[in-house]
Amino acid sequence: MGSMRPDGPRPGARPRLLIVTPDFPPAPGGIQVVAHRLAAGIVGMEIEVIAPDSPGAAQFDAASGLRVRRVRGGGALRGGRNALLNFAALAHALRFRPDVTLSAHIVASPAAAAIRRLLGARTVQYFHAEEIGAKPRLADFAARHADDSIAVSAYTAGLIADVAPSARRVHVIANGADIPVDPSPRPVDRPTIVTIARVEERYKGHDVMVRALALVLAKVPDAQWVVIGDGSLRPGLEQLARSYGVADAVRFLGAVRDDERDAWLARAHVLAMPSRLPAGQFAGEGFGIAYLEAAAYGKPVVAGNVGGAVDAVADGETGLLVDPNDPLAVAEAITRLLCDGELAARLGAAGQARAQQHAWPKVVERVEALLLAGLGSSSSGQAPAPEAGRPNR
Amino acid sequence: MCATLRHRGPDDEGVHTDADSGVSIGARRLAIMDLPGGHQPLCNEDGTVWVAFNGEIYNHRKLRDDLRRRGHTFSTNADTEVLVHLYEEYGEAMVHALEGMFAFAVWDQRAARLLLARDRFGEKPLFLHEHDGELLFASELTSLLQVRPSLRELDPYAVDAFFVFAYVPGPGTIVSGVRQLQPGHLLSWKRGAASSRERSWWTPPQVGVRRSESFASVAAEAKLLLDESVRTRMVADVPVGVFLSGGVDSTLVAATAAEASSQRLKTFTVGYDTGAVNETERARAVAERLQSEHHEVTLTQDDVAERAPAVLAALDQPLADRAAIPLHTLSEFARPRVTVALGGEGADELFGGYPRYRWLERARRLQSALPDVAVRSLAGALRQSAKLGPIERASTRLAPTPVLERNLDWVTSERRHRREALYGPRLMKLDRGRVLANLATRAGELDGGTAARWLMHLDQVHYLPDDVLVKTDRASMLVSLEIRTAFLHAGLAELAGSLDTSMHLAGAGKALVHAMLPADIIPTTRFARYRKTAFRVPAAEWLRGPLAPVLRRQLERGTIYSEGFFDRRAAERLVGEHAAATHDHSDQLWPLLSFGLWADRFHGLDEA
Repeated sequence: MGSMRPDGPRPGARPRLLIVTPDFPPAPGGIQVVAHRLAAGIVGMEIEVIAPDSPGAAQFDAASGLRVRRVRGGGALRGGRNALLNFAALAHALRFRPDVTLSAHIVASPAAAAIRRLLGARTVQYFHAEEIGAKPRLADFAARHADDSIAVSAYTAGLIADVAPSARRVHVIANGADIPVDPSPRPVDRPTIVTIARVEERYKGHDVMVRALALVLAKVPDAQWVVIGDGSLRPGLEQLARSYGVADAVRFLGAVRDDERDAWLARAHVLAMPSRLPAGQFAGEGFGIAYLEAAAYGKPVVAGNVGGAVDAVADGETGLLVDPNDPLAVAEAITRLLCDGELAARLGAAGQARAQQHAWPKVVERVEALLLAGLGSSSSGQAPAPEAGRPNR
Repeated sequence: MCATLRHRGPDDEGVHTDADSGVSIGARRLAIMDLPGGHQPLCNEDGTVWVAFNGEIYNHRKLRDDLRRRGHTFSTNADTEVLVHLYEEYGEAMVHALEGMFAFAVWDQRAARLLLARDRFGEKPLFLHEHDGELLFASELTSLLQVRPSLRELDPYAVDAFFVFAYVPGPGTIVSGVRQLQPGHLLSWKRGAASSRERSWWTPPQVGVRRSESFASVAAEAKLLLDESVRTRMVADVPVGVFLSGGVDSTLVAATAAEASSQRLKTFTVGYDTGAVNETERARAVAERLQSEHHEVTLTQDDVAERAPAVLAALDQPLADRAAIPLHTLSEFARPRVTVALGGEGADELFGGYPRYRWLERARRLQSALPDVAVRSLAGALRQSAKLGPIERASTRLAPTPVLERNLDWVTSERRHRREALYGPRLMKLDRGRVLANLATRAGELDGGTAARWLMHLDQVHYLPDDVLVKTDRASMLVSLEIRTAFLHAGLAELAGSLDTSMHLAGAGKALVHAMLPADIIPTTRFARYRKTAFRVPAAEWLRGPLAPVLRRQLERGTIYSEGFFDRRAAERLVGEHAAATHDHSDQLWPLLSFGLWADRFHGLDEA
C-alpha cells in the first residue's frame, strides 16, 4: 500500500489486465462463467488469465483463443492448488506487468495483493457469496487489499460489509446471462421442471426439490424433473428420490455440454432451484446465474426468497420466490406454473426482457469501466464508480 | 374395539359408520391440541371424507394456513382436520407434507376407498387383519383381537424371534393372522377389491458418500434442523417437558428446548435405589446448567415388584426391553406436571451412537486384510484365554462369521445359541435358521457401502421401530403421556443418512450430536467421556431381589411352560444360578419373564 507505481500504462498501448481465477471453463460452474465471459468480452485491455489446469483445458483454450496460463499440480487438496495458483500468478505478473489485477475469487487475493504491492497494479476483487461465509478472514483480507470490490448482488455486498467493515468501494454488478440466438421453445412430451446447478452444495435445495416433487406429482402426475449438474451429493440425491418413490419422474443428466443444457432450457416449462441460506456462517447463493439463463429462454423460475436469488428474480414478475425450506411452498409454486400456462408465459416474457438488460456484453462493459477507472490518474481512486449494476426490481 | 384403547385416549371417543359400504372407523383421543374441538372421527364440509387419527402433526398450523389459502374451511383447531383437507388436496401424496408421528385412516366415501398410513419411523402403531376382501385395523393388537377372537393364535415363529431379539420384529406380530403396516408405508383398500395395495412412501436413506463439504457446515445444518424439530415439537396447548437421562442425546434435546422456550423448562429424570448405574447425578448437573425446573423420581425395589409385572403384562405385544420399566415410572411421575415430554430416542440409530458400528466395521476390515486362518487363530486364541465374560464376548465378535450374524449375536447377547437348551416342545421343531434369514431379508444388500452404514440402516428399520419406539409409545401411553422424539425428523434423518459413516463415527462416535452440544453444557471432566446411558437398568439386581418371587411364580404356574413354549427345568436352572449370583442370566431371564407375564394375560383373556 502506498507503493509507487513504477510504470503506468504506456501511451497508445492497451492497459494490461491479469485475471487470476481458481475456476475457469471447461470446468462447470457460475464463477467459471463469470471469469470466462469477462476474459472473452473485455476488448479495451490486453488480457491474460491464470487458472488451474483441468481435464480438457488445452483443447478449450486452443479453441477459445484466450491467453490462459494453466497451473498444474497442487495435489488433491484445494489448499495446495490455491497456493500454487497464487505463486504462479505472482511469478507471471513479474513478466506480464499488469496494470490491473482482477481476482475472480478471494482465494486469489494473496497474489493480487502481492502484485499490487510490488508492481503497483490496481486490484479489483470479485465476491460471490459462499466463500465469504466459509473464509471470512480471507474475505476481509481480500476486501482490504483491493482498490475496488465487485459484489454480484446486494446480498453479497451485505455479506462483505459484515466480515470486512473497512472494505473499500464495493460495487454491486450483477452477473450476466447469455442471450440465446434462438430462444424459441422446443417441444417436450412431459411437463418439465429443470434444475441447473452442481450437486455439490446442499444449499442449492435439490433435497427440497425431491420432497416437493412428491407433491407436484399428486397434481401433475406426468411431470418430470431434469437435474443438470454433477457432484458428490448426487448418489445421495438419487437415493432420496428412490426413498420418496419419485425416482421414475427424475432424470439425472449429470454435467452436460452447453448445447444440451440450452436444449433443456428451451424444452423446460419451469426452472426451479430453491436455494436456501445454509446454516451457521455459511452464505449460500450469491446470485444464481441459472435463473437469468432460464429467463433468457423465456422460462419462469421458482427460487428461494433469500440471498442473492432475490436480486436475480423479481417475485411475481419473472418468477416466484418462496420459502426454500418448505417443500409444500416449492411444490405449490411449481404446480402453479405448470398448470397455469398464462401465468407461466407472462412471467417468462418478463424474465426474457429482464435478461436482455443483463446480457453479458452489458455486464462486461460495467466491469471494464470499473477496471479502467482510476488508471492514468493517481492510485488514490477518485474515479467515479460505474453505474452500480443493481438489477431493476 | 374403542373401549380397549381407553388408556391411549382417555378424553374422548367417537365412531363413524358408513352404512352403505359397511365401513366403520373409530377413535379415542388424548387431547393435546384444540382440547374441546378435536372430537374424532372428523369429516370434510360435505361429509364425504372421514379421518381417524392417532398421533401428532407438528406442522399442522402451517398446513392449515396453506389449506385455508387454497379455499378449505376449517371447523376445529385440531390437527386431525388438517388431514381431511390435505387428503382432498393431495390424495395419498398428502403424507409427504406431514411432519409428525402418526397412524391414520381416511375413508373416502365417493371413491369407496380407505387409506391407511403410518409415519416415517414407525412411532405410532397400526395393526391389520385382512382376509377375503375384509380389512380390520386398530392402533392396538389387543383391541383387534377383541373384535376377532379367532385370531388369538400365537405364531411360534414370532415367539422364536421374540426370544432372540427381545421384541417382535415387524411387519409380523405375535399372532399369525395380524400384521403391522410398516413404517413409512401406506395401504389403500377398496370396497370389493380382492386385496389392498401397500407401498412404501419413505425409507431412511443410506448413501454414505465421501464428499467435499466440511464437518462444520454439516454440523451447522444438523443443528438448524434439530432446532426446527424441537421448536415444532414444543407447540402444544398443554405443558411440555423433557426427559433427561443425563446422556448426550437427551442433554442436547434439553439444551435445544431450553433455547427455544420462553418459559423455564421442566426436566425429568429417573434413578434407582440399587445397582451401580445411577445417572441422576449427571442429569441434575445438566439441569443446573440449563436452570431447568428439575424433577427426580427414584424407582425403588418395592416399586419394581409391583410395577414391572403390571407393565410387562399390560404391553400390547410382548417386549423385553428392560428400559420400559423406568420409562413407565418416569412417564407416570411426569404426567401430573406435563402431558407431553420430549425424548432423545433415535439419535443412536441415526447418528451412529452404538460402539459396535465401529467395532464391526474394524473387524470386517481386519478380516478382509488378513487371511482367514489368521483371523480364526486370533479368535481361537482369544477364546482360549477367555476367563472373563467381556473377553469371551470380544472373541466371538472377532470370529470370522459374517457381519450380520456377529451383529445379531452382539445385540441379542447370543440368545439364539441358548434356544436349544430352553425351548419346549412347541418351539423345538421350528426351523432355527429362519430368524437370521428373515433378518437378512430385512437388512437387504450391503451394496458396496460400509458395514457400519448397513448396520445403522438395519437398526433404523428393525430395532428402532420394533423395540425403541414400541417401548416409548406403549410405556408412555399406558399413563396417557405423549413422548415426542426430537431426533426423528425427516430432514435430520435424511441428512444423517447421506453422510459418510466416518463422519458419524469420528472421535468417540455420534460425532454430530457432540458437535451440536453447546460448549459449556457438559459440566466437568468427570463427564468428559460420556458413555451410552439412556436410563440404564439394574435388571440383574431386580431379578435377584424384587422380581425373584415373580420369576418363581412364573416357573410354578406360567403358561409359557405349561403350554410347552419353554422348558421349565432349564429355566429353573437359570433362575437358580442367577439367584445364587454365580451367573448373570438377566439377558435370558428378562425375555422369559416379559413373555411369561404377557402370555399369562393373553391366555387369561382367552379363558374369559
